[in-house]
Amino acid sequence: MARDSSSLSRRDAVKAAGTLGTLGIAGLAGCTGGGGGGGGGGGGDGEDYPSLGNYPIEGDTAMFGFNVPTSGPYSSEGEDELRAYEMAVKHLNNGGGWVDSQFDDLSGDGVLDYEIDYVTGDTATDADTARQSASRMIQRDDVVMFSGGSSSATAIAMQGLAQEENVLFMCCLTHSNDTTGKDCVRYSFREMFNAYMTGQALAPVVTDEYGDDLDFYQLYADYSWGQTQQASMKQFFEEAGWSEVDSVPTPLGTSDYSSYLSEAADSGADALFLNHYGLDGANSLSQAIEAGIDQDMEIVLPLYNRPMAEAAGGAIEGIFGTIAWDSQIDNTPSNEFTEAFSSEYDGRVPSGPAQLAYAQTLQYAAAVERAGTFYPPEVIRQLEDFEYDNIGMGAETMRGCDHQAQRDIPVVRGLPGSEQGEGQYFEIVNITSRDDVGYGCDSGPAAECELGEYGDE
Amino acid sequence: MTLAADIAGILLNGLQTGAIYILVAIGLSIILGTLRFVNFAHGALYLIGAYAGLLITLEIDLSNGLLREWGFQTIGLGWGFLPALILVPLFVFVVGLGMERFVARPFYDRPDTDQILVTFGLAIIVQELFRVLFGGQSIDFARPAWASGPVMLPVVGNFPVWRLYVIGITAVLVALVWLLVEYTDFGLIVRAGTQDPEMVELLGIKLTRPYIVMFGIGAALAGVAGVVGAPLENVNPNIGTGVLVPAFLVVVIGGVGSIRGAVVGGILIGMVFSILVGAPLPQVTVAGTEIVWSSWAQVGIYALAAVVLLTRPEGLFGEEVTG
Repeated sequence: MARDSSSLSRRDAVKAAGTLGTLGIAGLAGCTGGGGGGGGGGGGDGEDYPSLGNYPIEGDTAMFGFNVPTSGPYSSEGEDELRAYEMAVKHLNNGGGWVDSQFDDLSGDGVLDYEIDYVTGDTATDADTARQSASRMIQRDDVVMFSGGSSSATAIAMQGLAQEENVLFMCCLTHSNDTTGKDCVRYSFREMFNAYMTGQALAPVVTDEYGDDLDFYQLYADYSWGQTQQASMKQFFEEAGWSEVDSVPTPLGTSDYSSYLSEAADSGADALFLNHYGLDGANSLSQAIEAGIDQDMEIVLPLYNRPMAEAAGGAIEGIFGTIAWDSQIDNTPSNEFTEAFSSEYDGRVPSGPAQLAYAQTLQYAAAVERAGTFYPPEVIRQLEDFEYDNIGMGAETMRGCDHQAQRDIPVVRGLPGSEQGEGQYFEIVNITSRDDVGYGCDSGPAAECELGEYGDE
Repeated sequence: MTLAADIAGILLNGLQTGAIYILVAIGLSIILGTLRFVNFAHGALYLIGAYAGLLITLEIDLSNGLLREWGFQTIGLGWGFLPALILVPLFVFVVGLGMERFVARPFYDRPDTDQILVTFGLAIIVQELFRVLFGGQSIDFARPAWASGPVMLPVVGNFPVWRLYVIGITAVLVALVWLLVEYTDFGLIVRAGTQDPEMVELLGIKLTRPYIVMFGIGAALAGVAGVVGAPLENVNPNIGTGVLVPAFLVVVIGGVGSIRGAVVGGILIGMVFSILVGAPLPQVTVAGTEIVWSSWAQVGIYALAAVVLLTRPEGLFGEEVTG
């Protein structure tokens, strides 16, 4: 009798564990809705072009969709992006920030006389969830543009959907070579640089500092971004004279890297590359320092940002990496953005991902103004090969052949814990000119890019 | 690097990976074994322990969340780690009693599915409450100065001091709970009640109180796990869910209601993970691609659970207490 009840509860435990897995995924996949639909009379510019995607817009409100991770390993980045998106919408409707000072095409009174509204979604740092959430934005909320990222797997899933649905996607944070390489699409544009360019920018600085014939060991996040990141680091550091001893994949969202790290420490290599991002990067780096690995090996964290530095604390001291943008970059657009963001959010210093989110939203709106219509093919043509110098990263071109921005890349080094303060986590070692990084339209990741159709052919 | 060093390193890593799971799994296992209650909110107790520990130990800057909007720039007592290690289990013990009285007890006679739904719902509520109050970002739970950085161990080489403390604290707590259950009258009643509650009550012993206390003890252990486990990673609202699944697997492997099972299950899971990541396993090529063993570390844990279920469905020590 007692035995029966015991085996029953065992089965319960197994059943329970199974249900837990399913429920866990469902729980993480929650979405938050915001904004509301526009109503009212026709108007707009629907007469010149056939309908395509969510064009023409019904009513007098144009809807944007912001699809970022507010749960999962990249949620800190996602939350900062969301703040910047909300500020961008506010500035588009009411003026302020770059809308007044840097973007002549924008009026601060909506876009083409449409008021801008937005909905938000949580990608949970998961490609499938991101795609579902974006699909809901397109079908139910009729968004004319959506933006997001903070994981290349989610960005690639979303831009694939953008191409199918003929609704523009403005990439925010995505650093995989594939985004504008083999998975590139016509309906997506990337301001962020990629792993290939990070390799080009880091190799000279790092080999100059540590010597030119070291052995290195790589840990990398096991998905699109981490894989291309690992491949690019191998390519450019081996070209610079270093040699890779081994490279080991780690699952996205790993919280305990100790076993991986002790393996790395035993490898006898001189340098360790931690190709991890967000919370994963903060965890792997601080656990590496905790295990004393920095005493025997030079550690490099190829892609950094401020929330990561915040979470890793003093562990980033002396560690090299690249960043999308930082508030310490001293020029007019950067300073204006930092000031606008800080006054909007109670003295908060914006992160690199926030700058990307803000810039990409305004870039889209400005392209609509230049095109004089929301009709997607015309907006795309306005963005292709567009040259600009108004978002704090110097002169840039949004290349037409692969939709990859050609831009400078900041190389940074982490400050010791005692010198870190609100917004100050790195020293900027070098802003690598766009002339020293990048690749032609027929080489590097671009060689594999087939953009697809505009939709009006 | 010698073979001895390799083996020692893998053992130590496995032990420390398993230690946190053991602390969480013991409570889960005891509650399931004695009360027949499936508690999916057990991970929330880990989460509460982690945040409570953080707030007692440090004074943190808030950059996010409702508390900041209410004007709190910083929050926390800053008393240091040892007070947290003593106060958090007491606090989470009380939380556990409340959970037993108001959540678990009304559901004891209801089907498992009801228990799962209500406790899972509770776990989500707790998680989202922390997210709203403190924001979703990760907070660095800095280890105390006396336990941070590496220590040079013979054979193994550098090893993080904090992870040695985690192993030590786990060992002491497990020993205490085991002594309590095996060698006290209280433990005798609990064990007897697990075997045949009807007979125990017929003998005039009221089981309600010892059961509540066991629930509280299980909760307190999860709370301690939060305090010692959080400095290994960072504190954020999702860590409770993250620890629950492996802890459930530990219960499946070790057997419901068995402390010994939870310990062995936890160590086994830690070892399998550590071996797949770190051991010099033979190269295997399948269909032209070489197998990267470290990528299979997570799968390995589930495979272990599957093997145990197939060969010994009641778990390794399943009959010890319940049988």
